[in-house]
Amino acid sequence: MSQFDNQTLENLKRLCRMSCTPEEDQDILHSLSRVLDYVEQLKEIDTTGIASCDYVLQSMLKNLMREDEVKPTLPREEFLHNAPDQIGGMIRVPPVMKAP
Amino acid sequence: MTHTPLHHFSAAQLRDSFVKGEFTAVSIAEYFLKRIEQHNQQLGAFLSILGPRMLLKAEALDRKRAHNKPLGRLAGVPVAIKDNMHIAEEITSCGSKFLNNYRAPFEATAVRLLEEEDALITGKTNLDEFAMGSSNEHSAYFNAHNPWDLSCTPGGSSGGSAAAVAARLSLIATGSDTGGSIRQPAGFCGVVGYKPTYGRVSRYGLVAFGSSLDQIGPFATRVEDIALAMESIGRHCPFDSTSLDFPPESYHLQANLKNIKIGIPRHFLENLKPEAKIHFEDNLQILRSLGASTIDIDLDILKYSIAVYYILATAEASTNLARFDGIRYGMRAKDAKTLDEIYELSRKEGFGREVKKRIMLGTYVLSAGYQDAFYKKAQKVRTLIIEAFDKAFAICDAVAMPVAPSSAFPLKSISDPLEMYLQDIFTIPANLAGLPAISVPSGFDSRQMPLGLQLIGPQMCDVPLVQYAHAFEQATQFTRKIPPLFDGLNS
Repeated sequence: MSQFDNQTLENLKRLCRMSCTPEEDQDILHSLSRVLDYVEQLKEIDTTGIASCDYVLQSMLKNLMREDEVKPTLPREEFLHNAPDQIGGMIRVPPVMKAP
Repeated sequence: MTHTPLHHFSAAQLRDSFVKGEFTAVSIAEYFLKRIEQHNQQLGAFLSILGPRMLLKAEALDRKRAHNKPLGRLAGVPVAIKDNMHIAEEITSCGSKFLNNYRAPFEATAVRLLEEEDALITGKTNLDEFAMGSSNEHSAYFNAHNPWDLSCTPGGSSGGSAAAVAARLSLIATGSDTGGSIRQPAGFCGVVGYKPTYGRVSRYGLVAFGSSLDQIGPFATRVEDIALAMESIGRHCPFDSTSLDFPPESYHLQANLKNIKIGIPRHFLENLKPEAKIHFEDNLQILRSLGASTIDIDLDILKYSIAVYYILATAEASTNLARFDGIRYGMRAKDAKTLDEIYELSRKEGFGREVKKRIMLGTYVLSAGYQDAFYKKAQKVRTLIIEAFDKAFAICDAVAMPVAPSSAFPLKSISDPLEMYLQDIFTIPANLAGLPAISVPSGFDSRQMPLGLQLIGPQMCDVPLVQYAHAFEQATQFTRKIPPLFDGLNS
């Protein structure tokens, strides 16, 4: 059985910067426990000496280089078009530092 | 004289008729927009319909033809785009409330290439939120339905695209396939769905889910239309560093399988239900009648695919979806007063439950103390899966499997998350190994719902794989059937 309990869930929500409704909490706790129990089966496989798959097309692996050139990027106004809140051409957020 | 209704055409036929001057692009656009208007409420395939935009493009295309300018290979063909790919200046919702107002500031490469070939884009199709799901039930808006039985799922995550093509509301649609999201809905809806070799189609402008697994591909009513779509979008793109740097391929389709060896992973398939097993054996008989030979291969390691996938895909998703923070774009919770509250409440309100689950699972398997046991272990088993396929392809040209364990299931009938994940057992392996794989209609079950045959090829062997599927399709013709509910003439 997995060790996935309420305390683990609370820690995880902090790591994910996510909050949930109490009903979601219960459902997520149940689902994640089920899935984590299921993936335990990977322990059956001996992977000693097996390389980790970091790129699926191993035979195509190569460095990609390009010239360091200035090219057009998304104009500021267009980017800000999707910003939830903005001021003076910048994205507005609540104060991050406290007043002294 | 009776005319064939436009929705009975294949994309290739419609293109040829348009080029010959038999129809105007505007009349084609109007015809398909009318079908969408008539049927979408029932079907739920489209999240947005781009009528005015489509008509403008059609008018421009008619002018292009009138001026005898060269016409693209998809000229006049109605094409739908999954709503996790950008069409510049249009909404990309990803089926999520988080992005319900997000207007794409640039064009996805696949979309740009389709438009350069003069395709007429009809709209954006429904999907499970951020492409996470196998039934379309996780769309934050409404459910897409299966055109063969509206009480059933069209599959997922690209369920809207599959339903749109099956109901002939568009003749081609794009999908993205991370663990089967093109092939499973194609199988469930009785259309052809193709996931190319990883990197064959640029992911630029596709909202990322599991970046080492994601691949864009087409849905169509015929294999020849899949070839047409691939010739259009299968191109190198400098904006995606995993895009394969090869010249575009042309698909010369042929209708026999002489000297082709098809590998059958018998042991891996032993738990198939009796009806599915008989159907699959019938499919193999058809392949043999076309000149192929079948050979048993060992792919037992694939039984671990789902465990590997739900570790790797969620790990990658948790990283990719960290960008949805309520700061730069997408939704920001109204009540959030501090920076931390912006993050937490925007993600709480903007994400649906399945997305939250997967972000949390992915964060868990990457967290300190668990990374070796889960993530790194899964990466090693992924290597073993790739090696097993390499060994298999040393003795066969393609592997055959069903697309899914059964035909489309009724909506809301699977509540256990693990049971839902197990639906993807036959599609996930191709993503883990970066292989091209195609789902082609193979008949109907006792409930009169479509079934699909899946063929999987070696990396880079996209063209031969599509040819094998074409041969099967030519011999069976199941792709010619149209769901009766959607075969009426425009009123």
